[in-house]
Amino acid sequence: MLYNITHLKKIYGARTVLDIERLTLEKGKVYTLTGPNGAGKTTLLKMLALLSSPTSGDIEFLGKKVQFNDKSLYQARKNVVLLDQNPIMFTGTVRENVGYGLKIRKVDKGEIERRVHDMLDLVGLKKFVDHDAQALSGGETKRVALARALAIEPQVLICDEPSANVDNENQEMILDALAQANRQHGTSIIFSTHYLSQGHRLADKALLLQNGSLSDILNENIYRSFVVEKKSEFSLCQLSGQVSLQVSTELLGDCDEVKVWLDPETITYELVSSGSAQQSVQVNRLSGHLVEVGRQKGMVKLCVDTGVKVVVYSSYEKYRRHGLLLGDKIIIDVPLSSIRCTPV
Amino acid sequence: MELLIDSLLSAFWLLIDFDPEFIEIVIVSLRVSFFATLLASIAAIPTGLLIAYSTFPGKRAVLTCLNTLLALPTVVIGLLVYSFISRRGVLGSFELLYTQTAIVIGQIILIWPLITTLTIAAINKIDSRYRMTALTLGASWSQMAFTILKEARYGIVAALVAAYGRVIAEVGISMMLGGNAKGFTRTMTTAMALEYDKGEFVLAVALGITLMSFAFMINMLFNFFQGRTKTDAV
Repeated sequence: MLYNITHLKKIYGARTVLDIERLTLEKGKVYTLTGPNGAGKTTLLKMLALLSSPTSGDIEFLGKKVQFNDKSLYQARKNVVLLDQNPIMFTGTVRENVGYGLKIRKVDKGEIERRVHDMLDLVGLKKFVDHDAQALSGGETKRVALARALAIEPQVLICDEPSANVDNENQEMILDALAQANRQHGTSIIFSTHYLSQGHRLADKALLLQNGSLSDILNENIYRSFVVEKKSEFSLCQLSGQVSLQVSTELLGDCDEVKVWLDPETITYELVSSGSAQQSVQVNRLSGHLVEVGRQKGMVKLCVDTGVKVVVYSSYEKYRRHGLLLGDKIIIDVPLSSIRCTPV
Repeated sequence: MELLIDSLLSAFWLLIDFDPEFIEIVIVSLRVSFFATLLASIAAIPTGLLIAYSTFPGKRAVLTCLNTLLALPTVVIGLLVYSFISRRGVLGSFELLYTQTAIVIGQIILIWPLITTLTIAAINKIDSRYRMTALTLGASWSQMAFTILKEARYGIVAALVAAYGRVIAEVGISMMLGGNAKGFTRTMTTAMALEYDKGEFVLAVALGITLMSFAFMINMLFNFFQGRTKTDAV
């Protein structure tokens, strides 16, 4: 177990910026953390990087409870690195910067030199080794910072929006380097991003943070599906034997097999008996029975079995108005804007 | 006016001739100021770093006290140190009074708050991400401190230059604790005061010119380092 977090809270003044009841992260996995601005992503990442202490609650890291006022913190911190959203370079050359973490670990010079070159090679900046680190461009700085973080071969790499404010080329290079670190060294990676597609592409699990609390929304409604009919504007994806959805061909690229994610918050539903459901014909209309009702983040979570289980979030008002009961026949409409596709 | 011109001309001759008495006074001044600045910085820079990066109750009060100490008159420091090192004082047995060591002790007390506050300002001015980056890359507190001092070096050197300028130009401590003994504790400022008392302006003016030249050089250095800090901030 990498992290085991219980009853974690961070309070600034009268404002609770983070409130996580329980979170468990496993070794060697890639986690993505998404959420709107101000949701508490950076606060959580800093705590996971052991750079900020919680107001209350416990963080267990690599099987040991983290003591934030203890000397053992420095030792624990040596296993985890945080890559800042806007990293900063120390005065000196790129070589000195990438070798910083190794030097303070008293690694011998030859080994430092070898790892500095390997890491710069990984991020495609080998020729910059003797350049002034503070004279690099934004994208280059981010790549050198990634090399600096990976050089110490941490067990956990935490990245705060690693691909923000960089062009596509730099973005791809950073994401490839992250994937490679995970694949080759088993480095556990936790990164925050605004791009859901990145999350689904790289991550084993996606975490969604809303108003300081974790939500399961992102891990619901993900289906492996096959493209069965491709047309210029819309294509047909088969989620299971009977369930197909029309998606924008643009989202599919050249893939024949994709991961489809349906945003549970934007799917609409109607009770079959209400009559209004019959009135209009929608692009993606599925019917099924209500098999589960729950409560999540001030909304009602409905699980509808349409052949595949689809989770829909409803307001309390609408839920009460329909007087829904388990087993009721429901029609759901999945608008094209609710569908995201990522290559498998 | 004639007196001033005559004194100036004679002073220039004194400077050009490298008068032994004059040179001795300058050397004592420079030496005492150097050691005072060096020893004060050894205590003040870590203190500044510690205060800048610590959160404790009463931190604001400590900063207020430090700022108040910046205005501490040299004669008050002279009196305080005198009460400790005079024959009847607690440290009287060390026979420090009227020695260069006594001047250094007084001057350390004078500039310790100055270096501390300017170090705090220099550290607060640099980007907080340096600290975070050093820590996340596995630095211990002392390794992080060393990294931060390296990044804030221009601001800290500016603090040292300002402190050196302050001690080389002070007269109260040197006079009260050094006693203005010729060849031992006579500094530029105490010599100028004595020559003035005697009505001998030549040496006083020569020393004044030298002191002003040093002050000018020190300020040039200060501005240079201050400028580097501003450029860094941009």
